[in-house]
Amino acid sequence: MSRDSARPLVEAAGLSRSYRLGAGLVPAVRDVSLAIAPGEFVALKGPSGSGKTTLLNLLGLLDRPDAGTVRVEGRDGEELSEDERSDLRRDRFGFVFQTFNLIPVLTAEENVAYPMALAGVEASARRARARELLASVGLAEKFGVRPDLLSGGQRQRVAIARALANGPSVVFADEPTANLDSRTAEEILDLMREINAKDHVAFLFATHDPLVVSRARRVVSLHDGAVESDVTA
Amino acid sequence: MSAFALAWRNLVRQKRRSFLMIAVVTFGFAAFALAGGFIAQSFEGLKEGTIRSVGDLQIVDRRAVGKAEEATLEYGLPDARRARALAAADPAVAAVLPRIEFVGLATTGAKSVPFLGVGVDPVPEATATLAPELIASGKYLSGDGGDGVVLGTGLAAALNVKPGDRVTLMSTTPDGSLNALDGVVEGLVDVRIKELNDRYLAAGIGLVSRLLQSPETVSKLVVFLKKGAHEEKAAERIGKALVSGGYPIVVRRWRDLATFYEQVKLLYIGIFGFVGAVLVVIVILSAAIVMTMAVTERTREIGTLRALGTRPSKVLRMFLAEGVAIALAGCLAGTVLSLIVAAALNASGIILPPPPGATHGMPINVKLYPLAYVAGIAAMVLTMTIASYFPARRASRTSIVEALTHV
Repeated sequence: MSRDSARPLVEAAGLSRSYRLGAGLVPAVRDVSLAIAPGEFVALKGPSGSGKTTLLNLLGLLDRPDAGTVRVEGRDGEELSEDERSDLRRDRFGFVFQTFNLIPVLTAEENVAYPMALAGVEASARRARARELLASVGLAEKFGVRPDLLSGGQRQRVAIARALANGPSVVFADEPTANLDSRTAEEILDLMREINAKDHVAFLFATHDPLVVSRARRVVSLHDGAVESDVTA
Repeated sequence: MSAFALAWRNLVRQKRRSFLMIAVVTFGFAAFALAGGFIAQSFEGLKEGTIRSVGDLQIVDRRAVGKAEEATLEYGLPDARRARALAAADPAVAAVLPRIEFVGLATTGAKSVPFLGVGVDPVPEATATLAPELIASGKYLSGDGGDGVVLGTGLAAALNVKPGDRVTLMSTTPDGSLNALDGVVEGLVDVRIKELNDRYLAAGIGLVSRLLQSPETVSKLVVFLKKGAHEEKAAERIGKALVSGGYPIVVRRWRDLATFYEQVKLLYIGIFGFVGAVLVVIVILSAAIVMTMAVTERTREIGTLRALGTRPSKVLRMFLAEGVAIALAGCLAGTVLSLIVAAALNASGIILPPPPGATHGMPINVKLYPLAYVAGIAAMVLTMTIASYFPARRASRTSIVEALTHV
């Protein structure tokens, strides 16, 4: 499926976001328009401070723009209440963070089951799905293990399983390989590509890792908060 | 996973801080429960002391309510023996004590001092009231009292008399004439109130009746009820019996007579309330600091929860649940602690100073006062909820991006 032929999952138009630094405003994202279609595997690349993470946060409804709009499956994010934005993130999005961000008091299985519990999935069903997802990311033996007893790669696998819990249409991943060694990073990327191919889940990465960029099918380059290039392989 | 289950795991994870906070609630709750038990004991002691002094009920002439007599026994109860028998016939009554209140002048010839006198039936009076316990020297009246008198130590000092000495009593009779009789000092009492000590005189009812030349008339009948008797019903029955027996009386209850009891009770409640408020403030401040620390430390986690789709209201509930869980755990530990401390205090044999109206201290006996426990739990849960609310609200309103990048 090409991104031009499908209705965009997430569509940004004229997005701008500045941050206050001392007395002045520092623009992080400037007038960015971008659309993510179902099943895409996109890398947002650029040097530090280029606005990758800010753009990812805006597209993922984690932050609100100063100007412009983000539409998710046709709905304007700015017209939604905080609860509606929460529900949309829960049901349609998955998130993978550089520092894994697992809930430390929950086991691997409970971490994966958490978004399903938020969505009101029955306990036995979410347990079964959490185990299935953990098995699919190669952690069948780690259901009951707390995050502090897992390696970095294992934690990121739990985070990926968690991101897929409610069957999202797009997973936002902010520097997902930055805290992993190169071999583990490669394994994680293989896993994401596999999920992307199998389940048709779109992935959007903010990264400056050449490995990630090399595996992406579409690369959006940012410079000083603006889109410099948008290339599909 | 419920907010409570998650809250509990977080409390277990932060063992040291949770322990500290639960300890604050535990001591706060135990102090609350013990103070409640102590106050309950004090009220009981105060009530007992009051009843021993004024009786459970008093039977007086209707006209005597709210009015002072202008002449001796102006509002007296005539035919007191029959009235006493009528009252004593009630099944709830343990004793009926006649009292004659009068004023006069005591003299040894060399010196005359005015006194406030009370005529009593010595034997039942000694059994039912605190009178014999107040004796400072000599002994209390015995038998029908005979010619014996008991003087306040102040009055005795003013007259310069001691047990065994004679003293002449002068008083006006109901018809206004002056009469005098000789009495023998049997004992001296210390009634613990200096002004009364300087004027107090007690004598047998026979001697007082002869002095006042009004046999069979008393100022009032003081009724003591059996333990567990229903005060209100007994008052109603006794009132009916005497009214139908031709006596124009009213029956007054001890609460109406001992106005100081209610005042002291209010004072105690005020003190208890103040101590309780101080405890609540201490717990609120400690809890607010601890909960703010918890929120700050878990800012990134809050950001993650919000990113995953947790609504702000659920984040708020999670932290409130932690506060409530701390309160409940603290109350449970506080209950155990308070029971241990209460048992230790009760076994210690410490004697408390006498409550107002009583003459002797009582051994400490901290009661298990369920209302204090229920109020303590409610206070601690409410306190922890209030203390957790503002940090929790801050957590729920934190910007997700700022929370995720919190260091």
